[in-house]
Amino acid sequence: MRLLLFLLTLLSPVLALAGHRMDMDSMVMNENPVNLPEGCPKIAGDKTITVKAGRKFAGNFPGAVFAYDQQSWDIPPCTRLTIRFINKDHIRHQFMVHGLPEKTYPQGMFTIEVSGPGEESASLILPPSKKTYLVHCDIAQHTEHGMKAQLKVAGGDRDLASLPGLTRPARPDTYPTRWTVSSVFLLLLALAGGGLLVWLLRWLWQSMISE
Amino acid sequence: MKYLRILAYSLGIALSLSTAWLLFPGERSEAGLLAPATLKWVPDIEDTEDFCPFEHPEWRKAQTIEGVEISESPICRPDNPYLVASVVKGTNNVTMPTLMKTRLAMDAVVKENDLDGDGDPDVIHIKLEVAELNGSSPDGDFLIPGYPIAPGLMPGIWVFVPKLRGMATIDAVSTQAPEILRAPSPPIRVEQGDTVYLTLENTHYLPHTIHLHGVDHPYARADGQGNDGVPITSEKMLLPGESRTYKLHPRQTGAGIYHCHVQTDKHMLMGLQGLFIVEENRPDNWLQTFNIGAGRVRHPSRAAREKYAQEVDLHFQSLDKERYAAIQKYNDPRLVAKAMNREYDITDADEDFYLLNGKAFPYTLRDSLIVVEADQKILLHTVNGHPHSLGLHLHGHKTTAIAADGVPLQTPVTRDVQPLLPAQRLDLVLDTHNDGRHSFGPGAWLFHDHAEKSVTSDGVGPGGDLGLVVYRQYLDENGWPKLQGMDMVPFFNRQFYQKQVPVWARSGAWEIFSDTAPLPPDRLRLILSGLSLGLALGLLIALWRSGRKLP
Repeated sequence: MRLLLFLLTLLSPVLALAGHRMDMDSMVMNENPVNLPEGCPKIAGDKTITVKAGRKFAGNFPGAVFAYDQQSWDIPPCTRLTIRFINKDHIRHQFMVHGLPEKTYPQGMFTIEVSGPGEESASLILPPSKKTYLVHCDIAQHTEHGMKAQLKVAGGDRDLASLPGLTRPARPDTYPTRWTVSSVFLLLLALAGGGLLVWLLRWLWQSMISE
Repeated sequence: MKYLRILAYSLGIALSLSTAWLLFPGERSEAGLLAPATLKWVPDIEDTEDFCPFEHPEWRKAQTIEGVEISESPICRPDNPYLVASVVKGTNNVTMPTLMKTRLAMDAVVKENDLDGDGDPDVIHIKLEVAELNGSSPDGDFLIPGYPIAPGLMPGIWVFVPKLRGMATIDAVSTQAPEILRAPSPPIRVEQGDTVYLTLENTHYLPHTIHLHGVDHPYARADGQGNDGVPITSEKMLLPGESRTYKLHPRQTGAGIYHCHVQTDKHMLMGLQGLFIVEENRPDNWLQTFNIGAGRVRHPSRAAREKYAQEVDLHFQSLDKERYAAIQKYNDPRLVAKAMNREYDITDADEDFYLLNGKAFPYTLRDSLIVVEADQKILLHTVNGHPHSLGLHLHGHKTTAIAADGVPLQTPVTRDVQPLLPAQRLDLVLDTHNDGRHSFGPGAWLFHDHAEKSVTSDGVGPGGDLGLVVYRQYLDENGWPKLQGMDMVPFFNRQFYQKQVPVWARSGAWEIFSDTAPLPPDRLRLILSGLSLGLALGLLIALWRSGRKLP
């Protein structure tokens, strides 16, 4: 253990330079509080958001199992954004951003992963253009079961699909249909309406001819 | 008069319609004097895979990483030696550069406290997650994380995996699972007398538990928490997002199983089952806690190294299309739970895909070859994960069963079909001494379950759990067996297991066996049928017009 700590101390400057931090409790990849993405003349401002993750946040979305406490953020361009990521479950969750400029963020990604109940904070400088970035937890089937959100810069350029409570899925599930008294009543009413429509059209036609 | 005319017309229409229907060319036609020509199958480059794509040939060599000796593994796709080193020393004891070459979390395998002072750690913390492979997505028609078991075959599977870090796909663009995220649930090795904390972090969207089948463990922990993994008796189900630690102190050696005990007839057979092997206590015995993808153990235990040239894990399991259908059809866990637990009925079920170490032939040739030399003794830990019995047959050899279900056999049994009941573990010794019984000599010898349907994938063979024991002279430098049989190209074509490729498409006499060219419909029948249909239509129009002329 002591050897490990020693090695970690030795390696920490190297790892920190690459924007990587990792220990038993959390991991941060491609953290960037300093380097300006191409097109940003300076840091426009500092902003901190708190993001909570866990099963309990899926409670408002029937069919979802894991979720963040919020599904969309809108942040001004070139902002240095600090994310305080709180994991309320006893498993791993991630706050992973995709599609960032690859020159500044390898693979276009920024990640905070928290290993279990706890929290971790990290910062990144957002790019200058109007764009929507995917935020998700890339643990097998977590995105698919609700842990998906979007980070809009300057209002974003679109809305992503399948954000719990916010946008429809691209490939929706289908559910069983059950007829109720009111649906039968509605159908009968529509039937009568159809008949009435024929009668109305005939009456209109006849009144036009007679004129 | 009017009714008579209508009757006559109707009769005419009915007669000509039935003639048209009777004469309409059917699905099959006779060929006449000469049968149709043979279609030559030409593989589509897009659909044909390389036999052995692999980026790390240097992983095959014997090497020492962080002081951990890692044996050679000369097959096409050997285990990641950095991962082997990490799970031997413990993810808490290796350096960051080594750990970063794996996808393991830092607390996946924590090893500490040499309680008996014999030079190896005796308190072992193992953390497992649950992953779904080839599940559906609300974002489109693809399966994620993608895990093909053979070219073009992506059945739904659940596995226990070591606690990971980072993405569940190869990279930010791909939907494919990384190498560590695979079937089977990896064999776990601990030492007799170790204090083992086995933690399940339920990362899946359904409830699960771990039951230690045949491994010495108390029914309840000292603090009263259930420790048997059975939600009917010992404890509540572990819900999504929750974590539970099972504690054990195994007093006996032998091979057991760890498996989920929630809706066992579904969950265990979806893949939540793995070998759990308790090795003999020896001094300085650092064990390879996980053997990802089973197969050869690249850092065997002290006892295994004393007695055997190699230690190999062979996990047989099977999948049913109807059982996993719901996870690929639906996303909503309520729909999945209903379809799986109440609409699916295992008493009416048949298995469709048979896996050897998580893959079906021909992918088994990439990572499940047993490469041997003459005069070796090799220990095979086999487990039957099927819902039915298995007759393990090895060509050219008779293996010797030395232990069943973790208990040494009083009388070892040497034979060429080794029977395994469901969930049974059999320790077999493969002796490559060429004496006409234990071995018939060098070759590339098949092994498989001799229940013939298990050498197919959804009925198409060769597929399923076919593996090979390859003597060194029959292996090329890239880990591929030197075979002199059929051309392998069709088997690596994604159309083959979709039943689109004639199985003998590339044999020396493909003209005899390939598909026939389809026949055009018989011309005479086509004309007569068309005429009759036209007549019927004409009559119908005539009937309509004659009706309108009347006052």
